[in-house]
Amino acid sequence: MGDRDEPGAAQMLDAYFEAARAETAAPSTELMARVLSDAQSVQDGLLAPSDKAMARFAGLRRAVRALGGWPAVAGLASATVAGVWIGATQPNALTPYTSLLQQDAALYQIDLPAGAGFDLDEGTL
Amino acid sequence: MPLDTLSDISDDILLARFAKGDRVAARALTLRLTPRVLAHAVRMLGNHAEAEDVSQEAMLRLWKAAPDWRSGEAKVSTWLYRVVSNLCIDRLRKAQPDGLDTIPEPEDPRDGPADVLQRHTRARALQSALGRLPFRQRQAVVLRDLQGLANPEVAEIMETSVEAVESLLTRGRKALSADLAGRRAELGFEDG
Repeated sequence: MGDRDEPGAAQMLDAYFEAARAETAAPSTELMARVLSDAQSVQDGLLAPSDKAMARFAGLRRAVRALGGWPAVAGLASATVAGVWIGATQPNALTPYTSLLQQDAALYQIDLPAGAGFDLDEGTL
Repeated sequence: MPLDTLSDISDDILLARFAKGDRVAARALTLRLTPRVLAHAVRMLGNHAEAEDVSQEAMLRLWKAAPDWRSGEAKVSTWLYRVVSNLCIDRLRKAQPDGLDTIPEPEDPRDGPADVLQRHTRARALQSALGRLPFRQRQAVVLRDLQGLANPEVAEIMETSVEAVESLLTRGRKALSADLAGRRAELGFEDG
C-alpha cells in the first residue's frame, strides 16, 4: 500500500478496505447446494464413459463364454500361434510331415528309387 | 467427512481426486473455494444474487476442467479468480457500460453500536465507489486490497504485467480516495 499519494488518504482508504474485508459476503446454503449438485452431476458424467467402454466389451465377453471360457480361448490362441510359427519357420523335424503336403515331390521320392516295385509287378502279371 | 480433515491437501490433489469420482473431494473443494469466489464476485458486481449465479457458473467450469487439469501448471485459485473476473466483466459490460446502477448507494446510519454501524457504512460506501471505477482498476483493487492477493498473482489473473497491475492499483486507489473523501461529510465521518 505504499504507493498511495498522501498518508492521510492512504489511512482513510485502509479504513474502508478493512471495513469491507470484515463484511465479506457469505454464500447462501442454496448456492452451496447448487454447486455441490453440479459437482456430482459432472462426476457422474465423467464416470459414464468407462461404463460405455464396459458395455462395448459385453459382446466380447459373451463370445468368450460361448467358446468355453478363457482357458479354452487360451488353448485356441496357443494353437494358432504354433501354427503360424510352424508355417513360417518349417523346422527340420517336421519336414517328412510337411513334405506329404507337397504331393508331386512326395510321389517321386517314394516310388522312383524303389525299382523292385516294377519286378514285382512283372512277376505277378 | 468434516472439511478440516482435508485442509492440508492442496487444491490440485483434491481436483485430481474429484476427477476420479471422489465425492469427499467435491465437497471439500466446494466448501473451500465457493466462499472465495462469491466474495470476489460480490465485490466486482455489487449484487449478491448475480454474484451467486456467476459463482455457480465459475465452479461448474472448474468441475468440467478437472479431467484435463495439469497439476503444477496453474494454481486452481488463480485460474478460478480469472474465470470469475471474466464472467463479472462480461455481465457488467452487458448490463451497463459503467455498471453504475448495479451498485447500491450507501445506506443511512441507523440505530446500533457505533463502530458496527460505521464499519457497515464504510463497507457500503466503498462498494459503491468501486462500482464507479473502470473495470480493470476495480478488478485490480478488489484482488489486491480486498482479496489480499500478491501483485504477481493479480497480474497472472488479469493476464497482464506486474507493472500494469501497479499502475492500475495506483490509479484505482487515487480515484477511490477522491470519491470517498467527497462523501465523508455526507456519511457523517469525522475520522478517516
